Amino acid sequence: MKNSLLWILLLMLTAVVSAGELEIGSDIPMADMKMPDVSGKTVSLNDARGENGLLVIFSCNTCPWVDKWEDRYITISQKFQIEGVGTIAINSNENTRKRGDSLDDMMKRANKAKYDFYYTMDEESKLASAFGATRTPHIYLFNNEGKLVYRGAIDDNAKKAEKVKNPYLIDAFEAMISGKEIKTTSTKALGCGIKFASN
Amino acid sequence: MTWAAVCRIGQEEIKKRFAQSLFHHFNMLRWNTILFLLLMMVHPSQADVNLKEVSASDILSAVAEYKGEKAVLVNYWATWCGPCVEEFPMIVHLAEQFADDAIILFVSTDWLDAKQRVIEFLQKQGVTGLSLIKNQNDNEFIDSISREWSGALPFTIVYDKNTGNVVDFWEGKQPEKRFFYAIEKAISEGNQR
Repeated sequence: MKNSLLWILLLMLTAVVSAGELEIGSDIPMADMKMPDVSGKTVSLNDARGENGLLVIFSCNTCPWVDKWEDRYITISQKFQIEGVGTIAINSNENTRKRGDSLDDMMKRANKAKYDFYYTMDEESKLASAFGATRTPHIYLFNNEGKLVYRGAIDDNAKKAEKVKNPYLIDAFEAMISGKEIKTTSTKALGCGIKFASN
Repeated sequence: MTWAAVCRIGQEEIKKRFAQSLFHHFNMLRWNTILFLLLMMVHPSQADVNLKEVSASDILSAVAEYKGEKAVLVNYWATWCGPCVEEFPMIVHLAEQFADDAIILFVSTDWLDAKQRVIEFLQKQGVTGLSLIKNQNDNEFIDSISREWSGALPFTIVYDKNTGNVVDFWEGKQPEKRFFYAIEKAISEGNQR
């Protein structure tokens, strides 16, 4: 009996965890929720949003996949900025705040890697839960109407930017900006699981 | 020369030859030992771990081969993934515990140039024999293994002993109980059919 109950609880937990990712076409969730930023200010997704859209990167300080992809963060944010698309990186690793993902650690990271975009702390992983984000880096691109047009990976080669064959995010961005149809709206890549408070 | 003198010379010759022989054997033994130790240093019993590159379809074929014989648990991990490394010894222990009814396959998702690091980790964990490492593009690989897998690591998926169908799967580190019940379910459901 006890085992059966535990089994049911585990299944319920799985259902909650895999409740699903934000669907393409969805609005920006919790767009006005203020979060502490590495600049010392508090920032919401709407604050980060540009006239032509918003790029949200679920990221962190403690993931080797972020270390590998990070070299593309700045070039992408600069490219997007020119076209009026804002960028914000979000750290939702609530369970590792004392192990490298505190706001202080984030400030050091942003300073060292010369982030020229917002890098905010998602307290209690609320945004990650609302997006259905599961890993780092995990990308969401919204258009000028605040609708989700692409989600998933930056590209198909974390390790070597020069060997990328499919620049998924750039392709989606360029199609979005030029008003064309985005061929691939959802991709996947391996990454570190987000360390939710309950982990 | 007297017979006694001949014998004395003969004994001395035998002693000399015996000493030479001993020295020769010692020398051979010494060089063999040095060679062995050098090999151990360069190649620490890698024969124990057979790390094979695989695509998603290779893995699914391997899983299908156990259908009707054993339940299969596949754990996707990486040496760089903290939670993967933390739960790894527990999974190795479960593999021993369920050896008669279930097979546990470890699939490393490390980059291919980190094979040596993977082998060393497996040896440290006492894993011997066949182990797997992904050699396919992430996007295709993840979806081929499971549409429900977002790509977060670790990822574990359990297949039924009798039908080969997926019994359970989860992302992230989980306690031993979760693994235990999933394997039990995969075995017992198989037995009921």
